[in-house]
Amino acid sequence: MNAHRDSKIASPQPEVLVAEGLQKSYGARHALQGLTFTLKAGRILGFLGPNGAGKTTSIRILTTMMEPESGHFTVDGISSDHPEQIRRRIGVLPENLGFPRQMTGIEYLTYFGQLYGRSPANAREFALALLEDVGMQQRGKSLIGSYSHGMKQRIGIARALINDPVVVFLDEPTLGLDPRGQQELLELIQRIARERGTGVILCSHLLSEIENICDDVVILSSGQIVARGTVAEVVDRVQRNIVLGNALRIQVPTDFVAKATQALKAAIPNVTKVTPIGEMEGWLRVELIESANGNSEKSHLINNTILGALIRAKIPILSFEVEGGRLQDVFLHLTEEAIQ
Amino acid sequence: MKNNPSTKALPAWWLVFTRELSDLWVGGKALILILIYTIVLAVMVYVYSFNTELSLIPPKESVYEMLKNAMAVSMFVGLVIGADTLSGERERNTFESLLLTPVSRRQIILGKFLAAISIWPVAYAIAIPFMNVLSQGDEILVPAILWGLGTGTISVFAFTALGMLVSFWSSSNKVSYFASLGVYVLLLVPAELPGTSSGAAGQFLQWINPMASVNHFLSKHLVNYEPFSLFWSWLIAPTVLAIVSLGLLFFYAGPGLRLEPGKTSWPWAKKLMRTMGLGGMAVLILMLSLSTSPVRAQGQTSDLQISIDLDATVVKTGDTVEYNTVVTNNSAVASPPLIVAMNVVNLDAKGDTVDPEDWAPKRTQYIESLAAGESVSLHWIINTILEGNYMVYMVLIPEPADSASTSQAVATSGIHLTVNPFTRLNPGGVLPYAIGAPLLVIVIMYFVNRRRNQHIDAGAS
Repeated sequence: MNAHRDSKIASPQPEVLVAEGLQKSYGARHALQGLTFTLKAGRILGFLGPNGAGKTTSIRILTTMMEPESGHFTVDGISSDHPEQIRRRIGVLPENLGFPRQMTGIEYLTYFGQLYGRSPANAREFALALLEDVGMQQRGKSLIGSYSHGMKQRIGIARALINDPVVVFLDEPTLGLDPRGQQELLELIQRIARERGTGVILCSHLLSEIENICDDVVILSSGQIVARGTVAEVVDRVQRNIVLGNALRIQVPTDFVAKATQALKAAIPNVTKVTPIGEMEGWLRVELIESANGNSEKSHLINNTILGALIRAKIPILSFEVEGGRLQDVFLHLTEEAIQ
Repeated sequence: MKNNPSTKALPAWWLVFTRELSDLWVGGKALILILIYTIVLAVMVYVYSFNTELSLIPPKESVYEMLKNAMAVSMFVGLVIGADTLSGERERNTFESLLLTPVSRRQIILGKFLAAISIWPVAYAIAIPFMNVLSQGDEILVPAILWGLGTGTISVFAFTALGMLVSFWSSSNKVSYFASLGVYVLLLVPAELPGTSSGAAGQFLQWINPMASVNHFLSKHLVNYEPFSLFWSWLIAPTVLAIVSLGLLFFYAGPGLRLEPGKTSWPWAKKLMRTMGLGGMAVLILMLSLSTSPVRAQGQTSDLQISIDLDATVVKTGDTVEYNTVVTNNSAVASPPLIVAMNVVNLDAKGDTVDPEDWAPKRTQYIESLAAGESVSLHWIINTILEGNYMVYMVLIPEPADSASTSQAVATSGIHLTVNPFTRLNPGGVLPYAIGAPLLVIVIMYFVNRRRNQHIDAGAS
């Protein structure tokens, strides 16, 4: 996945969204303090931040629903001074999108197609094609009121694509979906970016999905960008600056949790604490003493020792990772201050 | 398939209008509101025909009452639908999708406004058969339909635009409905309460109230046959309200339409509104003080004389009694302006006066002046509403020269009027309309829903 991302960085993709120094305040509170980033065609940018970090304000500004106090942005080369023209080039799936319950999927998409200047026949034809793209062709003639949440999200994405946009904003598209629904929707989003060459901005609290499908990431905290780049770059950059190597995460079968805890505490002198992780079944967090910090060679040896101890105790190891190597860790580290 | 705006594309306002129209009429609240409205009119016409007292009201007044109520309900419906247009979309989270399109905000407003007023022509068309049955062939029907259409259109436009403005500013649908309802009640109550138009201040308040002023105009012009030239000014308030509301809607709210409720971006607007409010209060206080100024007595003898050509009369309820009075100036000089007033008191109720509005289209007449020795004859009509024994007498009073003087009244002898019971409206003739109209709306609702269901799959998710 990283190799794929790196190869894409080198390709000459045009910048479809350029934001420079966007600022916005609500009274004395600075919601956005100089937001600057770019998005290239065909790439998916994960937009992250804790609640109140300025994500919604950013999206509202970039989708012309709100004006910034200063700074400007361009979409497909069109300046933010021309909001109507920008709206022709963007597609948006807002977080809490409401739907008219008494319209069918086809009617809904045809109506919006016409609002974007298509003739009735052309809008209907395009609506049918989009319904097929999002896997909703069988339910196009049903009332939207009868759709499940996942179906509504798909129709919402189809609506966001009705004008063949160059940039699509998706705000929490998988919220409330079951795991299968989430997976299918993420695959759809990837297809939109890859096959249509559309730049996608994906806001989500599910860091694993950002990590899996996004090429680039922007992390916001208190209205400021605290990290920006490809997912790999951000993880690597932050990993160097945060205290690493003093915690591991190991997953074992749930029946072996107690035995594993006992084996680790008894066999490894560097282990200070072994605790189950929240509600994640079979996961253990293993904290190590500080001596290994900054010395990767020693860290790796300790990892080997830990694994060896578990193997000798005949405990099956389902998963093993160093804490700090995931986007989730980076996010928590970078936004910790703002949350506190 | 690229997004090239097609030359065959329909105008955005038309798309929004047809979409809103469909939302409103197919499975929406329009048909339900129309059904309620039809039932209200049906109950009204039923009560008019079956209630002993109301059935005796002359056709002119019945038609006027029906027209007045049809307009009042239509204004209310327009206000309610207008109040939901923007804040309702915000609340249902469907507004953002619309605002994210490249359609101009003013076109969105236009489409929504046209859809919101679509109920008025339907509501008015439903009222016409009811007015027809109440008119019983009276010549009032055609002018009532035409004047109702004109004044009703102005009023419904004004109130719908007002509702949309409230919705534009409201943070939630509840606030929007509440504020709109408040405005409606504030205007309706003074228009309906008896006695609110007495005195100069009362008249002024009626004049500036768009609902009351339209009612006053229709009452005078249709029921009392007063010429348009005398009462046209009573149409100023609704016209001004319509122009101001529509102007604000299309030239202020339209361009400023956004996801969040509208905010006043004109700092001077608040000052202007405050000044206007204070100015209005000052005018009101001034009018009230003028209308209640104490008058000092100043006796005055008179050579004026008034006579009546009516003798004791026996009629049935609903009959019309017509008579003349002759006013003569027996003095050697021209008289001041004179006022002749009709008085009808109920002998069965210890001399209580009857409700002037119901009993006579014209209760007073004005004479500019009478030259020495000159006489003038005045014609009067009494509609006998209730059975009983009454006394009719006329009073002639010269207009005082100034606010500090009084004048001496002269009266005719009292004429005994006996009114016997009689029912005019035929309940059987009214019943088909009272029952048929709501049934027809229900049948239409059924077919609209059936036709809609034929075009959709009923698949469950």
